[in-house]
Amino acid sequence: MAAQGRTARGLRRIPQTAPSSGSGRQRRETPENKPRQRRTRQKFQIFSLGQGLDMPLFVFIMVLLAVGLVMLFSASYADSYYRQGDSYYYISRQGLFALAGVVAMLFISTFDYHHFHKLVMPIAAVTLVMLLAVVIFGRLLHMEKIAPSEGVAVRWLNIAGIQFQPSELAKFAIILIFAHMISINAAQMHTFRYGVLPFLGVLGLFGLLIFLEHHMSGTLIILLIGGAMMFVGGTRPRWFILGISVLAAGLIAYLVFGGGYQTGRVIGWLDPFNAPEGVDTYQTRQSLYAIGSGGFLGLGLGQSRQKYLYLPAPQNDFIFAIICEELGMVGALAIMVLFGMLIWRGMYVSLKAKDRFGMLLGLGITFQVGIQAVLNICVVTNTIPNTGISLPFFSSGGTALLMLLGEMGILLNISRSANVEKT
Amino acid sequence: MGLTAVLVILGFGAAAASLFHWQIVRGEEMRTAAMDQSLRSTALPAMRGTIYDATGTKVLAQSASVWTVVLEPAFIAKDEDTRRLISSGLAPILELDEEELYQKTGKQDSYYEVIKRKVETETRDAVNQFLVDNHIDSGIRLIDDYKRYYPYGRVASNILGFTGMDGNGLEGLELYYDDELSGTPGRMVSARNGWNLDMPFEKEQMVPAENGNDLVLTIDETVQSILKKYLAEGIEKYQVKNGAVAIMMDVKTGGVIGLSTSPDYDPNDPFTVLDERMLLEIEALPDDEQDEAYSAALNRQWRNKAVADTYIPGSVFKMCVGSMGLEEGVIEEASQWTCTGGMHFEGMKDDISCWKSGGHGTTTFREGLCNSCNPWFMHVGDLLGAQTFAKYREAFGFTEKTGIDLPGESYSIYHSVDALGPVELACEAFGQNFTITPVQMITACCAVANGGYLVRPHVVDRIVDQEGNIVKTADTTYRRQVISEKTASTITDILRQNAESGTADGGYVAGYRVCGKTGTSEKVDKHNEDPTKHMEYIASYCGFAPAEDPQYALLVFFDEPGGDDVENSAFTGGNKVAGPIFSKIMEEVLPYLGVDAQYTEEEYEQLDLVSPSVTGKTLEEAYDLLESMGLSYSIIGSEEEGTTITAQIPESGANVPKGGKVVLYTEGYSEDSTLVEVPDFADYDLANASYLANINGLQISVKGASDSTVSLQSIDPGTKVKLGTVITLTFADGTITDGHSVELNE
Repeated sequence: MAAQGRTARGLRRIPQTAPSSGSGRQRRETPENKPRQRRTRQKFQIFSLGQGLDMPLFVFIMVLLAVGLVMLFSASYADSYYRQGDSYYYISRQGLFALAGVVAMLFISTFDYHHFHKLVMPIAAVTLVMLLAVVIFGRLLHMEKIAPSEGVAVRWLNIAGIQFQPSELAKFAIILIFAHMISINAAQMHTFRYGVLPFLGVLGLFGLLIFLEHHMSGTLIILLIGGAMMFVGGTRPRWFILGISVLAAGLIAYLVFGGGYQTGRVIGWLDPFNAPEGVDTYQTRQSLYAIGSGGFLGLGLGQSRQKYLYLPAPQNDFIFAIICEELGMVGALAIMVLFGMLIWRGMYVSLKAKDRFGMLLGLGITFQVGIQAVLNICVVTNTIPNTGISLPFFSSGGTALLMLLGEMGILLNISRSANVEKT
Repeated sequence: MGLTAVLVILGFGAAAASLFHWQIVRGEEMRTAAMDQSLRSTALPAMRGTIYDATGTKVLAQSASVWTVVLEPAFIAKDEDTRRLISSGLAPILELDEEELYQKTGKQDSYYEVIKRKVETETRDAVNQFLVDNHIDSGIRLIDDYKRYYPYGRVASNILGFTGMDGNGLEGLELYYDDELSGTPGRMVSARNGWNLDMPFEKEQMVPAENGNDLVLTIDETVQSILKKYLAEGIEKYQVKNGAVAIMMDVKTGGVIGLSTSPDYDPNDPFTVLDERMLLEIEALPDDEQDEAYSAALNRQWRNKAVADTYIPGSVFKMCVGSMGLEEGVIEEASQWTCTGGMHFEGMKDDISCWKSGGHGTTTFREGLCNSCNPWFMHVGDLLGAQTFAKYREAFGFTEKTGIDLPGESYSIYHSVDALGPVELACEAFGQNFTITPVQMITACCAVANGGYLVRPHVVDRIVDQEGNIVKTADTTYRRQVISEKTASTITDILRQNAESGTADGGYVAGYRVCGKTGTSEKVDKHNEDPTKHMEYIASYCGFAPAEDPQYALLVFFDEPGGDDVENSAFTGGNKVAGPIFSKIMEEVLPYLGVDAQYTEEEYEQLDLVSPSVTGKTLEEAYDLLESMGLSYSIIGSEEEGTTITAQIPESGANVPKGGKVVLYTEGYSEDSTLVEVPDFADYDLANASYLANINGLQISVKGASDSTVSLQSIDPGTKVKLGTVITLTFADGTITDGHSVELNE
């Protein structure tokens, strides 16, 4: 309907073509022929309504956002009532950011993503400056007001009253930089000089800075996103085998030489109810209590007990545990399916993007959401050891949500010009 | 895309597998663990049932709300100021040591520290006020509890028993009926958040406590108090060393109307020894033995001497042996037998003697029982034979527990049929050489009184639930018929004569045809243990009234009367010691229980009058009134006509003997100015007692068998009393008339 409305306003409508299925890496070159060639647009307009949004993608985003807000409210009100004195503390902030985020998303979805080619350097520069600022203010100068620390990690930056994690921006920066670099060097991606070295340099720089924040999960995610983009960009698999081997060796070395504490953490992960002395598995245990309490059908929306000051920060990284408790295994699986569909649609749209830059940008964003969702849910269910990863669309965090919706805007913008049937 | 799909599915699949593991496989375990940490289950104590006396209105035992103060150190802030605030604030309210309390507040991993139990309402309010004033909202809790109160204190302690800290019955009815009384505790499950605060919108699940059932006893508080009063009087008077028992029973139902024992205790404070004699004994011990002696004394005072201890019934048992003989037809009322003062048994050095040296000569059975003649009953035993004797002994219930609803009922100790040789049989036939419980004795006495039926003694009449429905009533059916009604009525008549003019005349009650039998049991076993000491006795009196339609039986016995110098004490015999107490109890209890007095002419003559009120009247008016009542008078003060009387002795409403005197005081003279000392009437006969009273300006009122000697006087010798005061003298035979004076050599 919407697409037809746009057609009525004289916008161009893509003729019906069978949506391609299966692996897109090879195929993505093929659909770039007929319809695209027919469209003759000489130069980019700053704002372009393009060919209309991909409705399934938009719907998945909005559904996830809506469910996310509902669950955030449910998970947070008890904790925020006791700790903040206001049940609506988190939901009101998150709601405002969500509203602003949706506006931003729709706005950005009209902002031709090709302009990001020009924004690569400024964004990279700003990100690096911020990451450096965190390291300098937090780690070297210990200025808590600017870069507050949580335990060993320093992840936050306070700028003019707004608190946010530069590492969130770094994730997007990596996506953008890599999409830009790969689209430029598409032909030489198979070489070490063009296909590996520059990426390693960028990844190394960003990764190192985030590592210096002691932000392990951030570092991991950056590496995963970067690696995934290189992989789809055409870097030879052998380098990945090498890279993964080096990382694995490093991990083993870390575990072995990291002392008993790391070993303890692994033991605590394997059996959180009999953790060795000094290894705190309280959060994991409370998470598992919540998950177990949910059973198959859950206790019902709002009925969680674990959110009552038992599960620490239930509105944040462990919100999925409350989902499991209230909505049960059925609800948890439904959320996973929703994420799966978003990832599928995100990739589908990206692979149908009209150019390599769009495809890589879209895939990077989709990867980011996918990696975070999978890792978060695995952490909450104790499938992998505990590390602080938030759940996109669900976890509280205004600027992160704003960033996420902005990225969704880019994805939607890609969908406008992608070779996707608009319903 | 394929690879990504695989990775996503792998990732989510692994997570889903974990979900399956934690939610389905170990879901129950997780759920339970989560519940455990968030649900606080509090036991709601059930209120223990109330115990009422026979009137159903007097409360003998009742529970009232109290509180237990509990500390939850885990929810108390760790800082010293808060802990100091709490410990310094609560210590004075709860009368606890502040430093100790301060230490307890620091036990950070403890969730439950009882700091004070059974706190009353005022203290609870003070604690709450302290918490409110200082804005303390976690870490201190007041938990509901109950405390047991016994409004009548010592009156029925040995029946009621008492409860422990947890409200569980430890002795007496509290123990025996613990299940009925205690009810079912409830539970309150409340959800708490991680800070241990109640979750306001989570419903508390409450299983309300079911309060215990009430007991309505057959014990009448009034009767019980009367028993207690006179038992205490007897113990003091006769210097009783080893406690005493008085049991009164409804002969038809077996309902125990009163049961008083000594030593006793205050169930409100059972851990304090009250018996002065026992306290003195403990004090005399070396320090290191005192604690042990004290707990032994506690155990002794908690024992129900009427149920848990056995005694030698002595001659009281003759009422049963006589019944056996009559029932079996081996003797008749008029059968004759000659008492020569003793009986010889083969293999024994000495004869088993009668209490009367020289013997009673030839007497009928009726006379033999009234004389409490030992050889007569040895003869009855011989006629019965061991088999028949044992059969009846069993039928009377002496070989089994009576089944009374009190804990710790003791078994009797007796010779089995096979062991009943001629000597053993002879001894048992007059009540020696075996022990039974007092409650067995009075139950057998009831069988004699009620026409031969053995009842089941009981203390609880009915159990009533909280809605007032009767849950259970006492079993008042007869266990069996032991003797025929004819035999029973014959024995009853002999016992009536015995209490009137026989060896049991100490128990005589004017206006009531009382049946009674005395017993002076020798504590042979104790004597054999230490023959250097003089034989100790148990002085008992067992009987019932009224003879024409027996309703209430009463057994009174004093264990080891006569003080420390038994040999020279006049107070050892059952008639002298237990008789007057029996008489006094019956005299007071029977009218209360609605048994009306029917005086003979002779008795009527002896009855006291009630002193009229003449105070405020003129002398002339008083003369007329007193003369019309057959009373004389004397005047202290002005004897002028028209003078107003200012005081009188005996006072208005007090007893004055028939033909007695009222002392009138007029203006200017106070009755306090003419005090006289009460003389010691002990062992005086009536004539001498009257003379002694007269010369001292006192009057006497005669109770009991006036042809014997004084055994009790209502006001102790040496007391200063007002001129003209009436002193009640109880007369009873002083000699041991029913024991036997030669120890048994077994």
